[in-house]
Amino acid sequence: MNKIFLLLFPLLLCGCSHDMNRREIDEINIVLVLGIDYTEDEYTLSALYKTGGGADPEQGGSADQEEIAEGSGKTPYAALEDLKLKNKKTITLAQTGSFLIGDSAAKNGIDTCLDFLSRDETIKMESLIFVTKSIDAKTFIKKGMEAKQKIHEDLEAIKQKQNEMFTRLDNTLVNLLNEMKQTSSSILIPYLISDESSFLIEGYTVLDQMKLKDYLDKETSTGVDFIRNIIRRHPIFLEEGVGLELSYTSTDLKTHLNDKEVTVIINHDFETMIKEVTTEEDIFTRKGLDKLTQAQNEYIVKLLKKATDYSVNSGSDILQIARLVEYNHVREWKDMEKDWVEIIPDIEYQYVLNSKIDKSFILGNVR
Amino acid sequence: MENFINSSLIKELFSQSNDVLVRPIKINQNNIIIHMFCVDGLINQALLDEALLRSLKIDPYLAECRTERELMDYLLGGGAYHVFTKEEKDYNLLLKYVLSGMVAFLFDAEQKAIVYDIRMFEKRSVSEPQEEGVVKGAKDSFIEVMRMNTALIRRRIRSEYLVAENLSAGRISKTDMALLYISNIADINTVNRIRDTINKIDIDSISTPAFIEEYLIENKNSIFPQIMYTQRPDRVAANLSDGRIALVVDGLPFVYLLPCQLPMLLQSPEDYANHYLLGSSLRIIRYLAMIVTIFLPAFYIAATTYQNQMLPVQLALSVQAAKQNVPFSSASEIIGLLIAFEVLIEAGLRLPKAIGTALSILGGIVVGQSAVAANLVSPAVVVIIALSGIAGFVMPNQDLSNGIRLIRFLMAILAAFSGFFGLAIGLILIITHLCSLDNYGVAYLSPFVDVEGRNQKDTLFRFPIRFFLRRPEDIAKKNKKKQKEQEKSV
Repeated sequence: MNKIFLLLFPLLLCGCSHDMNRREIDEINIVLVLGIDYTEDEYTLSALYKTGGGADPEQGGSADQEEIAEGSGKTPYAALEDLKLKNKKTITLAQTGSFLIGDSAAKNGIDTCLDFLSRDETIKMESLIFVTKSIDAKTFIKKGMEAKQKIHEDLEAIKQKQNEMFTRLDNTLVNLLNEMKQTSSSILIPYLISDESSFLIEGYTVLDQMKLKDYLDKETSTGVDFIRNIIRRHPIFLEEGVGLELSYTSTDLKTHLNDKEVTVIINHDFETMIKEVTTEEDIFTRKGLDKLTQAQNEYIVKLLKKATDYSVNSGSDILQIARLVEYNHVREWKDMEKDWVEIIPDIEYQYVLNSKIDKSFILGNVR
Repeated sequence: MENFINSSLIKELFSQSNDVLVRPIKINQNNIIIHMFCVDGLINQALLDEALLRSLKIDPYLAECRTERELMDYLLGGGAYHVFTKEEKDYNLLLKYVLSGMVAFLFDAEQKAIVYDIRMFEKRSVSEPQEEGVVKGAKDSFIEVMRMNTALIRRRIRSEYLVAENLSAGRISKTDMALLYISNIADINTVNRIRDTINKIDIDSISTPAFIEEYLIENKNSIFPQIMYTQRPDRVAANLSDGRIALVVDGLPFVYLLPCQLPMLLQSPEDYANHYLLGSSLRIIRYLAMIVTIFLPAFYIAATTYQNQMLPVQLALSVQAAKQNVPFSSASEIIGLLIAFEVLIEAGLRLPKAIGTALSILGGIVVGQSAVAANLVSPAVVVIIALSGIAGFVMPNQDLSNGIRLIRFLMAILAAFSGFFGLAIGLILIITHLCSLDNYGVAYLSPFVDVEGRNQKDTLFRFPIRFFLRRPEDIAKKNKKKQKEQEKSV
């Protein structure tokens, strides 16, 4: 029996090696960024990869360049196959860290864009998804390359900044695929804009029923981040000539139902530290600190209101209240689900803020 | 026909051997002639002259001995005094004693002999262990003389329960062995099994360690060492007190310990010489090194040939760039360099020390660097092989280290065929094989596989000594308590 097994084992392994897409790492193009666009009933994929000229140990690195390859087809998958066909080397999306969805493709529906990605077993589920604001992904990438930007590195830098600012990243592929299951709420994906020689995230793209509806401005997006309780750090600039930074923040949403009237109570606790004082006034008195606390509360309420007002006025559930109601009021949700779009503008929001300015006031006024 | 003790017979037997002496000695005026029978070079000649021959020549009481029997009784009663004095009538045993270095006086009329142990042959002095050296700890190690080795052990265990049974194996070599165990701790069934195994060895000679090891291990096809050897008497003493059994073989400068489990092979005496946190850290590093040395080359092949998504993107890019101009596949590079590494080790072992160092420099640095510069191998592969090789040398047991070197090849080949699936298959095979190993009734992975979680205090982590309250459950079958539980301080 053992001898039969020993004879069969190499055969089994040989069989495996034929069916396992054996490719040496230098025989493939590792796609770092993939742009997805939709124009004239056709999808275009733009794959950005590095071409290394071989490592020179004396130089201590490789003289690599970023190149872009394109493929088009009736569907994103057809476009990917076209891309593979046209490219000299095999293409792999296994290392792709960022997927850029062009404005037009997002308007046509992100479900089509993300479906083929979700079915590729090699895709990293924590890859980040961005929308390029009012521009095709291909043009966005090309403009960056013309501006001598390292696209992949700039997008990595954006990821680093997101990690610094937020406690979690909601624009990963796996999160978006999960959010897509709840169709009553809007999906928010950060959008990218080009600044002279770098990329920036300004705010969120609002997608209703998977299709791009609007771009949120910076303040509304920050309000959404506060309500979603994902803020790690955020500067607060008060008109009193004081700059603060959040040292702790926590948001808790509670929903109350009265028939089909929904009231959402936003409990927001936060602490700040004084980072800058540009006023002559002595703010380090009890009265001065109370005044600052009041001012920072008003600042945050203003941000929160921006987000809630947008939701009420546009009828888009950008705060994902549907998920909250579904979770907290299971029975009632069954009746409300079909009318949810009509309910959104009638949701009442209440704000309960509790904040304090921490520690740094012991330094006193240095002026 | 059975042989009997007779000087003429023995003289004839060794007539062509010039180093074997059979000399007549006339004792007194009663015409009693006995024969001295010994091997030149194996005896302490000064002691022979002083303690034996001198007594035989000048002792006035010998004149009163009229028969050989009287003479024998007188000598055995203290006439010629030595610590080990024995009357022997068995011809074969007599030959064995003399050929192992003792001296015998033959009494032809009685067909008997008196044997004196005045062995002295060239031997090394007790020195520092070459393989298991420690900074903080005892510096003595075993030598090639069995009795010296048993003495080194006895020096550390002054218990009346320490048993040292003499055994012998080898039809021609008649190699002496001593089976040591503590009778009120060790499992007597295991002792009996080992004794029976040794007694059943029917081979010409025990010329190399493999001759005895292959008889003692239970799974002869396993590459994992199932018998542990150590050069350190303190280690043997510690294992004896845990209930294990030691086998001292004359001519080998180490002692075997049985039963042997995998965790034992990853322990070093240094673990117990340092603070328990440091000892535990070192042990964890050893386990990590074992994983690295087995799987790193295979991981590289799998990641660069099949599942490149397993590499972080920056690493994938740098590996890709480094490999760009290398004409060989990752598998060929890795397996080729692994073979080159083995060749270097072999060459280093065979050469004199001074040339060996030069060879290491030539092979490691010059050839390695030139191969990279000539784009024959990528720098990443050199780093992988170097890391894997160094990690392999972290193993405290040379047998384990050698076994792992072979497994490393197997894993690399599996990864070359089917990437991480091959690696997974290899891992499953290794674990299944380790789980199936049994060493004198004790699981090889014990105490990791103890479902009740006993005796885990000296495995991956080395707990403080005060926690070692009981001896290993599956080794020590009686007297399991190791130390008294300390009272908690108030």
